[in-house]
Amino acid sequence: MESGLSSLLSVSIDFGTSHLFFPRIIHWIMAILFALILVLKVIPFMAAVKRGERTMPIIGEARDNFRFFGTLILIAAYFYLMAVVGDMFPYTGYGFLMVSIAFVFLMSLLYLHDWTKKALTILVVNAIVAPSLAWFVLAKLFTITLP
Amino acid sequence: MEFLSLLDITFFLLAGFGALVGIIFGAIPGMTATMAVAVCLPLTYALGLHHGLALLLGLYVGGISGGMVPAVLLNIPGTPSSITTTFDGYPMAQKGEGEKALKICVIASVIGGLISAAILFFFAPMLADFSIKFSYVEKFLIILLALSVIASLSSSMLIGLFSGVIGIWLSLIGNYSTSDGGNGKTRLMFDFMEPYLFEGFALLPVLIGIFGISTILLEAEKGVKNDLANERIKISKGSGFTFSIFNGRLTNLVRSSFIGTFVGMLPGVGGSAASVLAYTQEKNLTRDSSQMGKGAPQGLIASESANNALTGGALIPLLSLGIPGDSTTAVLIGAFTLQGIQVGPLFIPENTETWYIMMTALVFANIVMFFLMFYAIKYIAKVVMVPKHILFPLIVMMCVVGAYAINYGIMFDVWTLLIFGILGYLVQKVGLEVAPLIIGFILGSQAEIYFVKSLESFGTYSIFFTKSPIAMVLWGLIIASVMFAIVMSVKSRARQKMELTQVTGSTHTASGKRHDKDND
Repeated sequence: MESGLSSLLSVSIDFGTSHLFFPRIIHWIMAILFALILVLKVIPFMAAVKRGERTMPIIGEARDNFRFFGTLILIAAYFYLMAVVGDMFPYTGYGFLMVSIAFVFLMSLLYLHDWTKKALTILVVNAIVAPSLAWFVLAKLFTITLP
Repeated sequence: MEFLSLLDITFFLLAGFGALVGIIFGAIPGMTATMAVAVCLPLTYALGLHHGLALLLGLYVGGISGGMVPAVLLNIPGTPSSITTTFDGYPMAQKGEGEKALKICVIASVIGGLISAAILFFFAPMLADFSIKFSYVEKFLIILLALSVIASLSSSMLIGLFSGVIGIWLSLIGNYSTSDGGNGKTRLMFDFMEPYLFEGFALLPVLIGIFGISTILLEAEKGVKNDLANERIKISKGSGFTFSIFNGRLTNLVRSSFIGTFVGMLPGVGGSAASVLAYTQEKNLTRDSSQMGKGAPQGLIASESANNALTGGALIPLLSLGIPGDSTTAVLIGAFTLQGIQVGPLFIPENTETWYIMMTALVFANIVMFFLMFYAIKYIAKVVMVPKHILFPLIVMMCVVGAYAINYGIMFDVWTLLIFGILGYLVQKVGLEVAPLIIGFILGSQAEIYFVKSLESFGTYSIFFTKSPIAMVLWGLIIASVMFAIVMSVKSRARQKMELTQVTGSTHTASGKRHDKDND
């Protein structure tokens, strides 16, 4: 019995595939936990959704679609264009500077609710000054690599 | 005292600057100390080790403290850890005693911060000394303990565990590094990802994405409303502040500071747990708790001293074991790595000077925080009004700089921000927990090395139970934390059931009650 137990617990790891040993264990744990969550949490939750007591997360919730997807698109465009413009002026950080000004301006506009003259003025000044300041301090004073 | 020669005026200026920026971040609702550290990271790249530390610790202390401002003035906790400050702070502000409330908070904060710094100073080297003898087996068990504690303190242990395991899984993406004794082969990805993900996801972009970008996505979803714009803040009208408020409150102050420090030591537990625990303890133990929740200074003292004591507490496991105590220290661990510091049992013995400098920065940051907040609180209170449409784009911009510059200009790190920003958003939406996920991500790859190396050298799973008495003690603690979670969930379920029966029992009278309220 003793030897049976110790042979059950003994393990030898082949070096060539040792990179898969731990991930395999993690996959098993993940699968077991997921199954438990499915049974203990998700199924009762879905039942509550059916009864109309709860709403589905993300799908069933009210959301400001314009601002949410606008944010996602703006951020993706920001990241993409920064690299594109940055490649035109390598090692200067101009890509960061120019695209940031546009990004800060557009994102502020996206989030602004009352378009008053005063708010817009502050917004424009901020969109120009803040990225320039960040660019100057980081790229020029601290010589940090920027796109 | 050789380290004194390493301190210069820039050091103190940076610690002070960090505290100020941290306070501002903490004071803006929705912005946390974690974000303050994440956003200011790029500044530390150009600084040396000691100056970088001064800035980071200043940000940390300031960020945790700043949360009191909107908590008192607007009834919105600026950081999760100041949630209990709202209970007594806001009623005081409504009575026109906002300034008095804030000053009480400031003093409680600085004392909490200093007590925890003292505990850190004495306790961290001891713990490090003790853990130096740990082999891979004990190190693995420590990580297991850390994860089980976080999971057991999550709202549901199952969810906490699952979130933690997802974090570990994410950390395994990439190659099994040869520098750690692995075979250098990649796993958990397709071949086309190899150029980007050979090293796995970089820690800091992951953290910045999860804490920075996903917060913004969560706000964008709600339409980024500036609902504060119309609120008027009356800061000082009623009775003023005197130090006599603290008479007879010393026990509360010290007890709450110790609670805060202790909770801070537990890995992955946020500040809200610390202040809630301190607040309830004060409520249970004090002679007169009738005023608590209606504007009692003692509630503020408990809450704020506990949440600032968190700072020193959270640094204890970070510096002695290499395990972050909360999400802010999780970002700090990344920042330290950038500065070439490997935190763990050897950190303090091998870097005595740096250790003393850190302590100096921590204490100094607390003092600066005190003076800034005590004398300039009226002006600082104004930052809670900064409109979000100005703030959010700037945060995204700083996140980009932080991610891009970490590995000297890798665009993929910037995309990591977005990937993990969206992931963090989804995780929070479906009800998983961010803190265990992050801790799992940070500790996952080490856990793998310790686990696989232990098995490679001993060849049996039983080694994890029989290696040493310490291993057995650690198992005892792991079981205790699991038991704790089970007991707590049974208790809360029983309470829910009781409330439910009460609700169903009282539905008949509910409409009548509402009518009464309307008349009020």
